[in-house]
Amino acid sequence: MDVALKLWLVVAIVGVLNYLSRLSFIAIFARRQVPALLARAFRYVPAAMLTALVLPMVVTASGETPHVSLPRIAASLAAGVVAFFTRSTLGTLATGMAVLWTLQFALSHVR
Amino acid sequence: MRRIATDSDFRAGFVDMLPAALALAPFGLVCGVGAEAAGASLAGAIGLSAIVFSGAAQILAVQLLAAGAPLAVIVLTCFVAGLRFVIYSAAMAPYLRPLPARWQKSLAFLLTDQAFAAAVRRFDTGGDSHAAGRHFLGSGFALWAFWQVMNVLGYFAGNLIPAGWSLDFAVPLCFIALVAPHLRTSPTIVAALVAGSGVLALAALPMKLSLIVAGIAGIVAGTIADFAQERWTSR
Repeated sequence: MDVALKLWLVVAIVGVLNYLSRLSFIAIFARRQVPALLARAFRYVPAAMLTALVLPMVVTASGETPHVSLPRIAASLAAGVVAFFTRSTLGTLATGMAVLWTLQFALSHVR
Repeated sequence: MRRIATDSDFRAGFVDMLPAALALAPFGLVCGVGAEAAGASLAGAIGLSAIVFSGAAQILAVQLLAAGAPLAVIVLTCFVAGLRFVIYSAAMAPYLRPLPARWQKSLAFLLTDQAFAAAVRRFDTGGDSHAAGRHFLGSGFALWAFWQVMNVLGYFAGNLIPAGWSLDFAVPLCFIALVAPHLRTSPTIVAALVAGSGVLALAALPMKLSLIVAGIAGIVAGTIADFAQERWTSR
């Protein structure tokens, strides 16, 4: 399948599925009670999905050959502490980037 | 349209979202760069950012496209990564119930991680839910508009950004900002630990299938831990 066609199919199908996810309880199941087990499982979706999404980006530097990147891990831990206490996206981003840049700069001068 | 653009609640929502929109600017650039690298046309890149409107799904889609993954795998991965919208939808539903159906359908489209956080804060301050709805529309629209600009900028000018800046690292940082505040209860920490160790242990699986398997394992583990904790404390 050609890439352009595949991309448009992704846009259409994922676009519809994502919108239905967003609309689900606001409109589609608005009048229905969520089953107790499902409601309980729901609580853990963000923590599980976001962690599974984020860890591979942190632990391995991007690229074809993954390798463990200590500056990224350290910067993520610092950013995580800021996020935990402040809930500020901007503060988290600034801390993480500042720590990463400092460590990268320091390491490039040590060697 | 002019009436809403001059509305004070809409404007307040728009302005309130600007710090978060600024924080998401590098993420938007990275999405644009990724779309260009995957061989998307400008229209395709804009279609992805304007309609799918989810950084996580966009990043996954372009990476899987570039890797030549089958359509079904791309769709399933993006859908599972977007399951958290169902949670946001369930949490927003009581707040939006007093609003007309047309408003509910529009606001649902603008439901993102950041807009959800801002909307819950605004609705929890109490008061008129219609005013809070206009505030949500303002913040959601601000993020949507800003996101399109950053995606297009990334598409055209992404290559001008030096690799030494490690701009791609802004993407995990945005998700850390979302997930870290969640980690306050034992079952949530269990869910994150199982999902996190799972995704690294299964990294060898092709086409990011590790994300789906580890994510679902984390959800199941968190739910079991929740039941266990309940039984423990009720004894």
